[in-house]
Amino acid sequence: MKLNVPENRKIAPFYIFYIVTSAQIGMGVLGFQRIIAKDAGADGWISVIVGGIIIQILMFMIYQILNKVNGDWYDIHAYIFGEKLSKVFSLLLVIYACFKTITVIRGYIEIVQVWMFPGFSSFWFGLAFLLLVVYVINGGFRTVVGINVFSMIILFLIIPLYLYTVPYANPSFLSPVFGHSVGEIFNGVKGMSYSYTGYEILLFVYPFLQEPAKSRKWAYLGLLFTTCFYLYLALLTFMYYPEEVLDSLIWASLYMWKIIEMPFVERFDYIGIATWFIVLLPNVCLYLWVAGQMVKRSFAIRLRTSVPIIAGLCLIVLPLLENRTQIHGFIDFTAQIGMYLNAIYIPFIFICVFIAWKVKNREKKSN
Amino acid sequence: MINFFKKKNKPTKQKDTKGITKEPQKEIKSPKTTVDFLRESNDFKVVEYKNKKTGITFQLTFVMSLIDEKIMQESAISYLLEENFSQIEDLPHLLPISDMEITTDLSQLEPKLLNGYVLLTVENKMDKVCFFAAQKHVTRDITIPEIEFSVVGPKESFVEALSENLNLVRKKLPIKELIIEEFEVGQLSKTKVAVLYLEGITNEEDVNTIKQRISDIEIDAILDSSYIGQIISDSTYSLIPQNLDTERPDRTIAGLIEGKVVVIVDGSPHALLAPTTVIEFFSSFEDYFLNWLTSSFFRLLRVFAVVFSILMTPIHVAILTYHYELIPEDLMGILYTSRTAIPFPPLLEALFLELTIELLREAGARLPTKVGQTIGIVGGIVIGTASVEAGLTSNVLLILIGLTALASFTTPIYRMNNTIRIYRYPFLLLAQLWGLLGITFGVCLLVAELLRTTSLGRPILTPFYPLRVEDFKDSFIRLPFNRQSKRPYSLRSQNKKRFSKDKANEKKDVDE
Repeated sequence: MKLNVPENRKIAPFYIFYIVTSAQIGMGVLGFQRIIAKDAGADGWISVIVGGIIIQILMFMIYQILNKVNGDWYDIHAYIFGEKLSKVFSLLLVIYACFKTITVIRGYIEIVQVWMFPGFSSFWFGLAFLLLVVYVINGGFRTVVGINVFSMIILFLIIPLYLYTVPYANPSFLSPVFGHSVGEIFNGVKGMSYSYTGYEILLFVYPFLQEPAKSRKWAYLGLLFTTCFYLYLALLTFMYYPEEVLDSLIWASLYMWKIIEMPFVERFDYIGIATWFIVLLPNVCLYLWVAGQMVKRSFAIRLRTSVPIIAGLCLIVLPLLENRTQIHGFIDFTAQIGMYLNAIYIPFIFICVFIAWKVKNREKKSN
Repeated sequence: MINFFKKKNKPTKQKDTKGITKEPQKEIKSPKTTVDFLRESNDFKVVEYKNKKTGITFQLTFVMSLIDEKIMQESAISYLLEENFSQIEDLPHLLPISDMEITTDLSQLEPKLLNGYVLLTVENKMDKVCFFAAQKHVTRDITIPEIEFSVVGPKESFVEALSENLNLVRKKLPIKELIIEEFEVGQLSKTKVAVLYLEGITNEEDVNTIKQRISDIEIDAILDSSYIGQIISDSTYSLIPQNLDTERPDRTIAGLIEGKVVVIVDGSPHALLAPTTVIEFFSSFEDYFLNWLTSSFFRLLRVFAVVFSILMTPIHVAILTYHYELIPEDLMGILYTSRTAIPFPPLLEALFLELTIELLREAGARLPTKVGQTIGIVGGIVIGTASVEAGLTSNVLLILIGLTALASFTTPIYRMNNTIRIYRYPFLLLAQLWGLLGITFGVCLLVAELLRTTSLGRPILTPFYPLRVEDFKDSFIRLPFNRQSKRPYSLRSQNKKRFSKDKANEKKDVDE
């Protein structure tokens, strides 16, 4: 189905900053420190920087691809492999988007179960969550982006709160710098993949941008922002917790909130967890929107029909993931798909698009 | 007074009985049936007179209840009886009435008669008749605005008469660009609806949308502008009002000047302004009468008050039900002592008090003012203290509920006020269900609703989303007038410039 976005449904290019950042920041933030410290130790912050550089390069590739094709994921695959295969690839992406959705919702429910309500029903909360998401998506892409912006504003308010840990920070925990091998640091980068992925959303929202060329700098800035944010969190965490303690903290970012004390609030972590819902909401909105959009492109089914169905499928899976091992297995699996999708598949289609472009150019010339 | 007219029903028409008049209902437009219909009403009169000089007879046909007797007597009958009146063409010279029409077209008979015109026929001939206006205008005096009261600034508010309201607007905006277009809406009420805009300033698309929506209205009666307001809303399922209603002519004019479309409805003392933004519901027009710093402070205060009044009680319920660890020890002590003897869970306690406040408000609004005051005292003081003393509610919650009620009254627009009143209940229930998480869920739902709501197709959350930094000058804060040289960007007006920014900012050097 051909995509034809009316001008008044498009968004200004600078919103890509909010889209990229809020697609990246989500469940990963809460616990990435332990994962990167497993291999890279206190040098984990170097992994954050390396990862940050890699995603900038991948973003460059994405823009090159979009420059050549000027469309979305579906158009790109149609350009390389033709319409029929493109449908298959789009469908694969729908599955990935569902996986992402499930990890976010189930991961969050797990935190709530551990922290606030042990008997929290994952089905009912998942239902409410997904209904809200469907309501947002039915408002159109602009509403989805509005939720992105709102969540980022809330995040901007949360970020400075981590500075409460500074008086207890111990910079010596960071030394020795470069105490780990390159391989270990790269393993750390791999560990960051779940937190860093999400910017590939650009491959889907590109046709919805007014003057897409102008969005470039905002996309790079968005990536820079997330890199800085993760770096800030990583440094504060590594200075706050010794390595041995960190190893047992699944959600280090949440534990750090415990130190916050205000005259009327003693345990900020409760507020933090509740507020994190707002940070997660755009993640799910974006991914379900992408899933709906891909279904629409491939089979010409309206988003109003497809999104509730996809959300319903996700809802069925949610209660099936019962315990920690299952949840984490699922998150790890999704993270790996995400990593391969970004680190291997994007460069692959980058090359493919170039080859296809060359071939098509030559055909044109010979004609 | 009625005896003054010599009542003389002509024998031909007297024959009409009710049985005949009911029959030809299909052709209401033909003059005979119209008259027959009207004949059934007691206030319909046909009176015959004889001119003293020329001796011709003429008939006046009119609906008594719509006619101003003084105009009839002083400007019509006395001239018609005593001057040299021989044929219908003489009338324009004879009568000192400007709204007069001599016509052969009788299709206008029904609307004319039912809008306070008098039909004049000479010698019972219907081929050429005259209509002249003698409407009775019963209007209320222009009074002080009661809903949007301001301490400083103009003290006039709209009344129920359209002509009077248009006069209030026109008077303050004496330019030819002010266009007033009238529509007739409602099959039975035939209400006059005026659409006002400034040619060359207001976005044409907006004007056309409003006009289109008004002419598409399919309803039997429009009894207030709020009918129109609800019908032309973008979404009727949203609790958020999508057009601003005001009783202040000054606010209406300010809206026109900014590039909004105004709708004034006959019989309603409220004008409608569209498109609107959420922030306008929290700005009182007094903000423009005060120094910009003062008014910015008040605006911020009002926004805080809204957030406070929606969220405070739910947060209280959430914390006391689930998260008491959140409260520092010293504060917990106070909360604990106030709640030890209360037999109810926090939610019931909060609902009890909230509903009490709602009842007080509703009772106060429905009762006459003087009784209403007593209700306030009885309810607020007696019930409040008594319920705390009886151990039914905690005094901390009573304070909070009192504060939230007070805070919700700061919203200047009454309709928004109601919306906020209702939003509190879903939040309370969500707080009981999932604690703080429920509240954030509610906040997201509310934000999503705000994001989806549009006014005349324009997002209601501007200038925040879509972001229009240049429109921040009149949002949470109000910058001084010399910074307001441009119309709001989000209104997409045809002429962006209000006045010359440079001239307004011209400053003299020291000692010049």
